[in-house]
Amino acid sequence: MSDNPKDVLIAAYLIEDLAKKDFDALVKLAENKTIAVEGVVLVRKDSDGEVHVTEAGDHLGRKGLKVGGGVGLVVGLLAPPLLATTAVGAAAGGVASKFAKHRLESGIGEKMDAALPPGSGGVLAVYDADGASAVENALANAVKTSVARIDGASAKELKAGLAEAQAGMAG
Amino acid sequence: MSNESIDRSTLPIRRPPFKGVVKETLDGSQPDWDHVAPIRAPDGAPNVLLVMTDDAGFGNPSGFGGPVRTATLDRLAAGGLSYNRFHTTALCSPTRAALMTGRNHHAVGYGMVGEFAGPFPGYTAMIPKDCQPFAKTLQGNGYSTACFGKWHLTPDSQQGLGGPFDRWPNALGFDYFWGFLGGESGQFDPMLIENNRAIGVPAEDDFYLPDAMAAKTIEWLHGVRAHDASKPWFAYFAPGASHAPHQVEAEWADRYKGAFDQGWDKLREETFERQKQRGVIPADAELTPRPDAMPAWDSLSETQRRLYARQMEVYAGYSENADWNIGRVIDAIEEMGELDNTLVIYIWGDNGASLEGSLTGTFNEAAMMNGVPLTDEQQLQLVLKWGGLDAWGSDMMAPHYSAAWAWAGNCPFQWGKQVASHLGGTRDPMVVHWPQGIREQGGLRSQFTHVNDIGPTILVAAGVPQPTHIDGVEQQPMHGTSFIYTLDDADAPERHTQQYFEILGNRGMYKDGWWLSMMMPRTPWKIDPETLKQFAPGVWDPDSDPAELYYLPDDYTQANDLSAEHPEKVAQLRDLFWQEARRNQVPPLLGGLSGFFGIHPPAPAQSEFTYYGDVQNVAPGTVPPIYNHSYTISAELEIPQGGAEGVIVAEADHLGGFALFVADGKLKHTYSFVGVKEFRQESESDLPTGRVNVRMEFAADAPKPATGGEVTLFVNDEPVGGGRMEYTVPVRFSGYAGMDIGRDNGMPVDRSYADKSPFAFTGTVKKVVFDVNPHLTEASEHDLAEHANWAHTAHAITA
Repeated sequence: MSDNPKDVLIAAYLIEDLAKKDFDALVKLAENKTIAVEGVVLVRKDSDGEVHVTEAGDHLGRKGLKVGGGVGLVVGLLAPPLLATTAVGAAAGGVASKFAKHRLESGIGEKMDAALPPGSGGVLAVYDADGASAVENALANAVKTSVARIDGASAKELKAGLAEAQAGMAG
Repeated sequence: MSNESIDRSTLPIRRPPFKGVVKETLDGSQPDWDHVAPIRAPDGAPNVLLVMTDDAGFGNPSGFGGPVRTATLDRLAAGGLSYNRFHTTALCSPTRAALMTGRNHHAVGYGMVGEFAGPFPGYTAMIPKDCQPFAKTLQGNGYSTACFGKWHLTPDSQQGLGGPFDRWPNALGFDYFWGFLGGESGQFDPMLIENNRAIGVPAEDDFYLPDAMAAKTIEWLHGVRAHDASKPWFAYFAPGASHAPHQVEAEWADRYKGAFDQGWDKLREETFERQKQRGVIPADAELTPRPDAMPAWDSLSETQRRLYARQMEVYAGYSENADWNIGRVIDAIEEMGELDNTLVIYIWGDNGASLEGSLTGTFNEAAMMNGVPLTDEQQLQLVLKWGGLDAWGSDMMAPHYSAAWAWAGNCPFQWGKQVASHLGGTRDPMVVHWPQGIREQGGLRSQFTHVNDIGPTILVAAGVPQPTHIDGVEQQPMHGTSFIYTLDDADAPERHTQQYFEILGNRGMYKDGWWLSMMMPRTPWKIDPETLKQFAPGVWDPDSDPAELYYLPDDYTQANDLSAEHPEKVAQLRDLFWQEARRNQVPPLLGGLSGFFGIHPPAPAQSEFTYYGDVQNVAPGTVPPIYNHSYTISAELEIPQGGAEGVIVAEADHLGGFALFVADGKLKHTYSFVGVKEFRQESESDLPTGRVNVRMEFAADAPKPATGGEVTLFVNDEPVGGGRMEYTVPVRFSGYAGMDIGRDNGMPVDRSYADKSPFAFTGTVKKVVFDVNPHLTEASEHDLAEHANWAHTAHAITA
């Protein structure tokens, strides 16, 4: 993982299968190594405001629901209640609080609430900030996008925390 | 006295002279029962059911080749006659005024919609006493009469419970009215009027206006028949469909899933082919092209195509539901055994389908009404905000589809609503069904007919004359021509040979098959000052507008402009237009837009409005004018020990409105800027108990349209909280939702109390006072008067 600053993206969609189309395009960018992607997550926010992960993709373009720390970084920053079901399991109290701090400081939580209204589909992603224009081009169907930025060191630290939590669970 | 000997030329009909004998006592006295009998209609007079739907196009219903399944219209057409050259005025109120009175719309003060009573005779929005509706004639001749649904013939400022009521339906010929007075209504949360009384928003969770209208109509028919076994009735059934807001249960819209994925260009071609196959348009008709102002379907993004397809699915479901409810009424009449002698006139649309949703369509028609400039991207985001595609058509939005769907729905013609110069604005399907009066079943009639022909036709069918006097006032003759002559003769030469058209400066002149079109260079969804300044006094010369000439017997769709070949005909028809215009009070052209051009009404004298605690359902056209300047709302409350909660005062809903309310012990104010942005303020501390005065002050940055400003909340004159509102609504929160004291009827302004709606105040609201003029200078007043009038007119255009 590079020390480059990371963009934390929330893209909202009127139509769920078009979100999936853009999700696939972003994962393809990761697979092709066009940009350095930490993780991409396809989500749906239900009418009660609860976020559900439909699919996730990692930095190598692999898809699945539990595909490593990059996805955990995305979920932790954008939808922390989902950490338990995606990346690190239910015992990740410590790492969750670290994410909470970053969400608060970067305003990501607020952006997430505003950008993704109940009933919408979304693509969440974290990637190296210098890939922003490639990402923008890939999101042809997004109705609204919102981007926050975190520095590379913080991202690294959060990812390490995730790895630690996952290791703890495994052990 | 026999029916035939009654002199029906003057209404009310004079009671017959007493023909009995009166002695000092009953001894020797002879009764005369005719003297006390009610007026009876002529023997055999038919019942009349008049149906008019709203903002619907020639190419919408299946019976006319369209994609909307209209089983009722089609059934009636199969048993009666379809008219394919029937014309409206191209705008709501004007068409309804011509429909009701049988006269030209300007001649009865309706050059413009009822929301705008202007200072020139053709634009007063007040039907003159010497042009009474034909309903009054039927009523005076022994008919029971009722009106259900949309009225739109009462001036906006006269829709409150202070009256006057002489332009409400009860005063204009209807024994019974149940519906709404304005130009549009929420379909799930209408603010209803019954006779001369506001009955407000129905409390039922599953209420749907068209369903309820049909039920009310059937209930009324049963009631009439229960009272009198033979009295004929006249029912006017006018659904709000398919005017915005396009609201219908998803199950109706879902019947059209995928039906419009091909887009508006293809839909129009498909419709055109079906129209030819069905024979409702001539075989040699040409399909007119898409105007440059509208995008090709293929040029749209995938998201746009999917959203727009859903817009049309909802519109189609909404329209089909209206037709289905009309069918329920027809079924009830049939069940009563009265369909054979009921003259049913079913008019599909009071003008062409509406282009007023702009190119993108809108989640909230009030955004357009308020001139809020929203980009395509913002429109999509706001659809997302209020629930996405699934919510389009629900009560979470007040939607209107893209103008291009309207154009497709007006197939095969050019343009649509407002455009009186072209058939897309004026020509609508009409079906006439009357088994006892029409021999042919499934026939087509192509004589020129106009909405002002309806009254004269119905009177002829009923066997009653146009009265010379009503209530002592000499009546002007009707301008329309009865089309009874067409019922049994498809080839009869047309008798309505000449008709002017004018709406908002768009003009047409029809004469013996020729039609001169003079369209102002303004697309119907553009009402901004920049667009309109080209039509200012001294700038605009209407005779320099492009003129197109069509010969309709050879050119059904206005596809071939002959103006270059027949300049003499152009000049002749232009002269004729002006003659007709002068005869019918059309000048000054744009009289309905006078407010845009510096002609302002006298400044209103009232600046303080007091509402006691039980006032509800204040009509939207009569709420205090709080727009574009500073204002104050204060309330005197009684709060019991233990506190209170609920709404103190609320206007309209989450798609535009305000609420001052108490929740969680705090005084709160929520202001919705047409659903685009919400501003919220609340007190820092809990409200005290006992007698409490609360106040919300809005200090505008400047008296200007949509001004921002600072809100301060006060409790017992102490400031307790506040915040900034970046924008305010410049024209009007809603076209139909009203204001309530002590509760928030209908959809809530703040969704936070949606689960407690109407969130009635649990203490006591003694009174609420609006001060709408607390800090103005004279110059500000002038500026605001100018804007207010502009704004009012802008609203009226979209009504």
